[in-house]
Amino acid sequence: MRFWRVIEPYIGFLLQGFALTVAACLLAVIGAVLLGALTASMRSSGNRLVRGIANVYGDVFRNVPFLVQLFFFFYGLPELGIYIGAFETGVIALSIAGGAFVSDVILSGILTIDPGVIDAAKVSGLSRVKIFTRIVLPIALRVSVRPMGSVLINLILTSSILSTITVNELTGAAKIVAATTFKPFEVYAVLLVLYAALTTLMSFAISAAHRRLNRFMTGG
Amino acid sequence: MIVAENVEKRFGDMPVLKRVNLTVAPGEVVTILGASGSGKSTLIRCINGLEQLSGGRITVDGHDVSTKAGLVAARRASATVFQLFNLYPHMTALGNITLAPIEVLKLPKAEAEARGRALLERVGLSAHADAYPQQLSGGQRQRVGICRALAMQPRYLLLDEVTSALDPEMTGDVLRILAELAADGTTMVFVTHEIEFARHISSRIVFLEQGELIVDLPTADFFAEEGGLAVPRIRQFLSKLKKD
Repeated sequence: MRFWRVIEPYIGFLLQGFALTVAACLLAVIGAVLLGALTASMRSSGNRLVRGIANVYGDVFRNVPFLVQLFFFFYGLPELGIYIGAFETGVIALSIAGGAFVSDVILSGILTIDPGVIDAAKVSGLSRVKIFTRIVLPIALRVSVRPMGSVLINLILTSSILSTITVNELTGAAKIVAATTFKPFEVYAVLLVLYAALTTLMSFAISAAHRRLNRFMTGG
Repeated sequence: MIVAENVEKRFGDMPVLKRVNLTVAPGEVVTILGASGSGKSTLIRCINGLEQLSGGRITVDGHDVSTKAGLVAARRASATVFQLFNLYPHMTALGNITLAPIEVLKLPKAEAEARGRALLERVGLSAHADAYPQQLSGGQRQRVGICRALAMQPRYLLLDEVTSALDPEMTGDVLRILAELAADGTTMVFVTHEIEFARHISSRIVFLEQGELIVDLPTADFFAEEGGLAVPRIRQFLSKLKKD
C-alpha cells in the first residue's frame, strides 16, 4: 500500500493537528452560539442604542473576509498591548465571526414568534432575561437550529484558515507534511476524510437538537 | 382596587381610548362591552401594562402601571387570560402553569407542580398535564390559560375575549369555569361578547363606544328599560347581538 507508506510516519502529527482543530472548533462553536444568542437578543431589543451596537457588530463581521479579521486580531492585539497565543487568537476570531452569522439565524427565528406568547410571559411578571432564556430562545431555536447548523459547519471549515497564523491545526499540519513528503494528494486525502467526519458529526448533533427542540410539534 | 383615571391611548394619530374612567373594587366582576374596535382589549392591555398610556393614569392597588416598580407590583397583583390563549408552545400544560410560580413567586418546583395539578384537576384536564399545547383543543388550551393565570394567585383576573376563538361547546366549558370563579368571589375584568353570560356573572357592566366609556351601571340597571336600554346606542348594540 503506497498510500499508507506515505502517511504512516506522519499520522501521529496529523492527528495532533486534528485534535487542535477539534478543540478550536468546539470552543469556537460554543463562543459563536453564546455570542450569537446575546447579539440576537440585543438586535431584538427595544433600546435603539443596544440594537445599533449589535447591528454594527453583525454588519462588520459578516462583511469582512475572515482572513482579514484574523490578521487584524493576530497583528492588531499586540499593538494594543494584548498578548495571547495564536490558538487563543484564532478561537476568539472564529467565535466573533461565527457569532455574527449565528445572531442572524437566531434573530430570524425570534421574528417568527407569536408576539402574544411574549405578552403572556411579560404579564406573568417574568424578568426580561428569563423571558429570553426560557421562552424566546427555545422557541426561536426550533426554527433556527438547522440554518445554524450550516453556519457552524462553515465555522469548522473556516478553522483551516487558522493555519495562516502559525496554528498547526489539521490544515497547518498537513501543509508541513505535504511540503516534507512532496505527496500532497495523499496528505490532503486524509484531510478530506477527517474534515468530512467532523462536519458529519456536527450534522448529526444538529439533527438531534432539531428533533429534541421540535418534539412538542409532533402528534395532536 | 383597579383605578383608571382619564385614560387616553392613541396609536399614532388615531385615538383608541378617550378619557376613560373606571374603578374595579375587590370582589367585583366588571364586564366591558362594546363593538369591535371600541377599545375594550386596549383598555385591558393598558391595565396590564402591555400598552403605554398616552395620557391619564392607571393604578392597581395603588401601584402606578406607568412606573417601572409600579408595573412590577401591578403585574404581581393581576393575571391575564388571552383571546388566542398565548400558551408557551414548547412547554407542557403543567410547564406553562408552573413557569411563573417557580421563577417569579420562587415556589419550590414540587409545590408549584402540586398546585398546577390541582388547578388542572379543577378544570377537568388532569389527564393532560404532560400534553403540549399543539396536542390540545382550543377549549382545552384556554382552560390551561386560565390555570396559568390562577397559578399566580392574582387578586384581579383580566379576561380578554377569552371565548371568542372557541366554538359554542368549548365556550360552554370555559364559561362554566369562569362562573365558578365568580361565585368564589374572584375579582374579574371581563371583555366579552357573551352578553347573556355577562348578565349572569357581572356585578357591573360598562360600555365602550369608539374609545369613550359611555355607560357604567350595575348589571340589573344596564339591562333595565330606564337604565342602559334607554341609551339608543346600547339598545341598538344589544338588539343586533340577539339577532345573531
